[in-house]
Amino acid sequence: MDIGRRAFLSRTAAAGFGFTALQSLLRAGTSGVVSPLHFAPKAKRVIFLYQAGGPSHLETFDHKPKLREMHSKAMPESFTKGQQIAQLQGKPLICFGPQFGFKRFGRNEAEVCELFPHIGGIMDKVTVVKSMWTEQINHDTAHAIMNAGNILPGRPSMGSWVTYGLGAESSNLPGFVVLMSSGRGGQMQPIAARQWSAGFLPGKFQGVKLNSNGDPVLYIKNPKGVTTEAQKKTIDTVNALNQTQYEHLRDPEIQTRIAQYELAFAMQASVPDLVDMSKEPQSALDAYGAVPGDGSFASNCLLARRLAERGVRFIQLYHRDWDHHAGIPQNMPLKAEEVDRPTAALINDLEQRGMLDDTLVIWGGEFGRTPMSQGGNGRDHHIKGFSFLLAGGGVKRGLVYGATDELGYAAVENPVSVHDFHATMLHLLGIDHLRFTRKFQGLDARLTNVSGEVVKGLLA
Amino acid sequence: MHRLALATLVSSLSCFAAVSFNRDIKPIMADTCFRCHGPDRSSRMANLRLDLREEATKPNRRGAIPIVPGDPDKSLIIQRIFADKPGLLMPPVSAHKTLSAEQKQKIRQWIAEGANYEGHWAYQRVAEPEVPKVAGARTPIDAFVRSTLAAKGLTASPEADARTLLRRVYLDLTGLAPTPEDVDAFLKDRNYEKVVDRLLASDRYAERQAVPWLDAVRYADTCGFHSDNAFPAWPYRDYVLKSIKANKPFDQFTREQLAGDLLPNATDETRVASAFNRMARTSAEGGLQPAEYLAKYGADRVRTVAGIWMGATLGCAECHDHKFDPLLQKDFYAMKAFFADVKETGLVPDQGPQAWGEQLALPSPAQKARWDKLVAEIAAAEAALAEKRKSVSASDWEKSLRAAVKDWVVQVPVAVASKNGAVLKAYSTEPVLSVYETGGSVVSDTKPGNGLIVAEGPNPDNETYTVTLKPGAGTWHSLGFEVTSDDRLPGVRLARGSDRLVVTEIEVAVNGQKVAPAAARSSIPYWDQGLTPWNVIDGKPGTGWGVATYRTQRANFLAIDFAKPLVTATGTQVVVTIRHDSRYRRAVTGRFRLALAPTPNAQPASERSGLMTIPALPAKIEGTTVLDMTHPELAPLALRLSRLESERANLRAQIPHVVTTVAAAEPMVTRVLGRGNFMDESGEIVDPAVPEFLGKIPLPAGQKRATRLDLANWLVSRDNPLTARVFVNRVWRQFFGNGLTRTLEDFGSQGELPTHPELLDWLAADFMKDWDMKRLVRQIVLSDVYKQSSVATPEMMEKDPDNRLLARQSRHRVESEAVRDVVLQVSGLLAANKFGGPSVKPYQPEGYLAALNFPKRDYSESHGEDLYRRGVYTFWQRTFLHPEMTAFDGPSREECTLNRSTSNTPIQSLVLLNDPTFVEAARVFGERLAAAGGDIGKRIDAAFARAVARPATAKEKELLTGLYQSELARFRKSPSDAKALLSVGEAPHAVVAKDAADVAATVSVARAVLNLHEVITRN
Repeated sequence: MDIGRRAFLSRTAAAGFGFTALQSLLRAGTSGVVSPLHFAPKAKRVIFLYQAGGPSHLETFDHKPKLREMHSKAMPESFTKGQQIAQLQGKPLICFGPQFGFKRFGRNEAEVCELFPHIGGIMDKVTVVKSMWTEQINHDTAHAIMNAGNILPGRPSMGSWVTYGLGAESSNLPGFVVLMSSGRGGQMQPIAARQWSAGFLPGKFQGVKLNSNGDPVLYIKNPKGVTTEAQKKTIDTVNALNQTQYEHLRDPEIQTRIAQYELAFAMQASVPDLVDMSKEPQSALDAYGAVPGDGSFASNCLLARRLAERGVRFIQLYHRDWDHHAGIPQNMPLKAEEVDRPTAALINDLEQRGMLDDTLVIWGGEFGRTPMSQGGNGRDHHIKGFSFLLAGGGVKRGLVYGATDELGYAAVENPVSVHDFHATMLHLLGIDHLRFTRKFQGLDARLTNVSGEVVKGLLA
Repeated sequence: MHRLALATLVSSLSCFAAVSFNRDIKPIMADTCFRCHGPDRSSRMANLRLDLREEATKPNRRGAIPIVPGDPDKSLIIQRIFADKPGLLMPPVSAHKTLSAEQKQKIRQWIAEGANYEGHWAYQRVAEPEVPKVAGARTPIDAFVRSTLAAKGLTASPEADARTLLRRVYLDLTGLAPTPEDVDAFLKDRNYEKVVDRLLASDRYAERQAVPWLDAVRYADTCGFHSDNAFPAWPYRDYVLKSIKANKPFDQFTREQLAGDLLPNATDETRVASAFNRMARTSAEGGLQPAEYLAKYGADRVRTVAGIWMGATLGCAECHDHKFDPLLQKDFYAMKAFFADVKETGLVPDQGPQAWGEQLALPSPAQKARWDKLVAEIAAAEAALAEKRKSVSASDWEKSLRAAVKDWVVQVPVAVASKNGAVLKAYSTEPVLSVYETGGSVVSDTKPGNGLIVAEGPNPDNETYTVTLKPGAGTWHSLGFEVTSDDRLPGVRLARGSDRLVVTEIEVAVNGQKVAPAAARSSIPYWDQGLTPWNVIDGKPGTGWGVATYRTQRANFLAIDFAKPLVTATGTQVVVTIRHDSRYRRAVTGRFRLALAPTPNAQPASERSGLMTIPALPAKIEGTTVLDMTHPELAPLALRLSRLESERANLRAQIPHVVTTVAAAEPMVTRVLGRGNFMDESGEIVDPAVPEFLGKIPLPAGQKRATRLDLANWLVSRDNPLTARVFVNRVWRQFFGNGLTRTLEDFGSQGELPTHPELLDWLAADFMKDWDMKRLVRQIVLSDVYKQSSVATPEMMEKDPDNRLLARQSRHRVESEAVRDVVLQVSGLLAANKFGGPSVKPYQPEGYLAALNFPKRDYSESHGEDLYRRGVYTFWQRTFLHPEMTAFDGPSREECTLNRSTSNTPIQSLVLLNDPTFVEAARVFGERLAAAGGDIGKRIDAAFARAVARPATAKEKELLTGLYQSELARFRKSPSDAKALLSVGEAPHAVVAKDAADVAATVSVARAVLNLHEVITRN
């Protein structure tokens, strides 16, 4: 029995499984609960470059010349009537044209905002989805639906689901890792730990946040005055003592505890190496635009590649400050500068290492922004249409999928809901979202809640 | 796979020949049939319901009868579930559900036996079953459990050994371990009942027993959505503690929380209890749609009440009728309507005078008397001022004031110094970068400093700045202190840390001679948390001026008027001392300027100025403040009023407040929301009502609408089939690791059938006689079933691996609070003598709250014994719960939690090994062991006695002695390591280390002992 399975066993035994059933499950030699996988997987892991705050689709991937024509004219009521509105409640709704030009890139001449030339340069390797939509118009709940498919607390996030379903490949790092960065030009919206919670799944599937300041993982450092050898000796002693108890009581939980101490020590040994970028060649740092230790999105992208190499299943990078209620013209260039180069570098790097084929890379936020102006130079939250970028892991390359209407308001061609997105992601990982459930409060709960369809048009 | 395990278990428990609908058939159907052939109209297929006999036995359109009682072969469902053709097979392939051969056979047998339906067990009135006669069974609980054991061919285990039993009952009842003295006393008199009664009466019992209730009601210290700011909730937690301590009957406990404000004899206590209705998460996010959030708050309450009292997953019916239980969508909204009178707004402000909506002040009698006196004095002072104002012409005065008053003169200091290590840098014309928020985005600019003083470098908890000015020859009337915000600063962006800025004193001196202050005024419009300007000149280090809530103002200006004008010559040095001695850590000014006023009556500047002068008067004078504060006839009255108001603000900050329920005269209209959509205003309007299938609340003549009090009374009526069953089952779980049904939160058809239904009913019926919570607990822990050994024999492992039949006790890790409490207690650090009080902040890693904003969050650890209080008092930050709590499965309390899980992860090991709280506990524990003297063997004995209530075995001693020796050698070689380990944490040393290496090596032993699985396990 490996360590991970023992942990699984201890938790699930308490959560309502038959012990013997579990033992047989473990004997079957699965690493995750979905075994065998429902389909042949295309992707083995996911890197989600989560642009928190809600990037404007109208200044990234969704070019709307008509909106430019309509600039400063009233937004036709036919678009907005009866729709949800956030901060523009009770305010006049005025069209706000795209603030930057667009250029054509790649074989299909896909349009990308001129602020993102590096991403433009990889258009032949990615798919742009221009027809995303969501249900929640405020950050907190929109994050919840994007991460867990449900706004109620206590539901597992997608990283937890995926790790629960597929298990972990790494024996000394968590299966689900969260990184966070912020930059300039925008309000830094809060993000709750709930967004990487395992919810009702066993606690070991919780996302572990890697910090760029202080301990990279909480409590990963030995206490003051305790050397690595002393820590090892202490853990060995604790384990030997626990072993004597086990021999007396035969309680499998004690064995799990012993294994967890071993794993904790292994983590203590491996995390410093993971975050130590000193062995990365200068060329790699330059390609990403990363400065070791700066905690930037660029550094996190490079770290994401290192995590992927080490077998981490689900890597989620939050990059914040996209909440541009004001100052689109000033702030978008700042954000673009932070994310354009590293995003492209990561995808190129994965490709060069032969990892892009089995790594699904996702770029996008919890919602988009209104075609209407807020305060003359900003955009409000917008849920009816926004853009995602997908790469690798069984996704078509060089495709533009779906479209919003002529003013960039609502997804009208091939709309993709958050649940559709989740279903598609699970599909690429070899999982049928309808069959991937766990009992919770009497229901067969699943990531896609009660809807969601695999978007076939995205599959390579 | 999971289901199979459950099904196997259920079938293994059903050893009777005849098929029972509830036990054998309903679980199968609930899982495989009811989704399409159950209560939910919208998903019903073929117009067929199998959950009602009447429906299932009538012919369909084609004349076929789904179930023909007594004749399986004629029954359509039998043909379909046994069908060979995939197209005919039920459940259909698309459902991904399959029936096992055994399950199919069961259904067949059930139809053959007459297809007898039974009402769902949990919805039947609780009868009081007769206690079976079982030889040797001492209590009814033992009789019920043993009668089932006998039927399964198992026998009960012997009583656990005395030490194990004592540690078990201590951990279960108090969440703490027995001390060696407790163990000795018990070994001597073996009076278990006496121990139980003593523990039940203790404060420690209430602190332990409150935890599951606080999980259920989702008690926390922060609002939960978005910025997740702190709201006044802890007096409600204390209400729960005190009620449990006083053993308040559960029916009264229920009424007070749901409707404490509506009780005919409502008191402050019951109004505090009604804060229960205010524990839902709330949001203050700009741009939220109020109707959407009001819908969320209401739904949260329905889920919570249904979970706690009814074991019903009513939340499932928010968008549609329940798939498995007879709960209609309408029932969900009718339950929500009970709470439609709770006065609230969709956006619940988290700052300012309207913050958190309805609150209740809880002054002590002395505070109340002082408050009333102040209120009267303030009213009188206001009236006097208003009266005087009538005789004064504001416009004339403004003209003469503008002619006389000169602007503030910014001072570039000649010297700056700090007491505790902060590095102060004063800027004259050199450029300084400033980052600030304006109009919703953050900008930066670089401008000449012009007297700006910036603190950098070391960031001590308390700090005093000394700034020397050389203003040149002149006469000065006031000192100006401008605190400038910078977005790189945490919290309110004015201080270097913590969650607030607090300047406790400002003193001005010339030649060592203090310049007496006369008044202090500030530009901050309201004085939250009692941070008034007068506090900086009151000579008391405990009070201060500052900012506790983030606002976007870039400058906050404080003016201190001198009693007599300060006259300076060319070279005179003026020394300004700025003290930050509050209990908040690092609430220390980050950036500031000083200015002097050359004429009387300069006002606290409300706008920021980068110039060498700051305007003494606003460009446009609005309101009466400037007039009041400057006019010679008004100023004395205005200053008196300001002083009184300052006193009132200080007093208010000392008086505990709590959110409370206030009933609106007109309840909000409650509509059924189509698919839960808050924008749909077409749904039927519903009145408060309990789920239809459970009956109706009878209303007295003249009362039109059922209230929360009616709901509470219905929940705790003797005829309610759910409340008592649901509650006693949860209590049972605390003492055995599992409920009698493990689905604590779901007593519906998807829930697990109880393993001992008669016992559950007997306990429920007995509980309802007096709703006495302590009596319920007492009779459980006094039973032999409870006292059994937890050691499993091979036979038990074979026959009942999960211990559902209770031939032995169970064994489990203690909960997150107890992990902390036990370790602190064993070390001697636990502050266990206080009961209740404001929430406290133990050590927490720096930067843990970095993902929060509005305001940016830092963390101000508590001081002294507040660092070592029990986990139940830990500040509960919903979006970022303390990492120790999270690691050991403490729930975020964002949602009603009835069933904490128990994981075992490497993160837990990291906490126990490296979290400063645990390392400090080991340090103090080791120091105490060393202080007690004796060789290492003796110390190990003492450590085991304290930590696990038993002596160490020879093998254990050998292992720990080995660790001691190697650590001793290491510390001898490296004294700095010993010193470092012995410096962890703020607790004073328990011993003056003569031989630091010996003490440190003992600490290493203590640390190993505290990491034992046994320490955090209840056996």
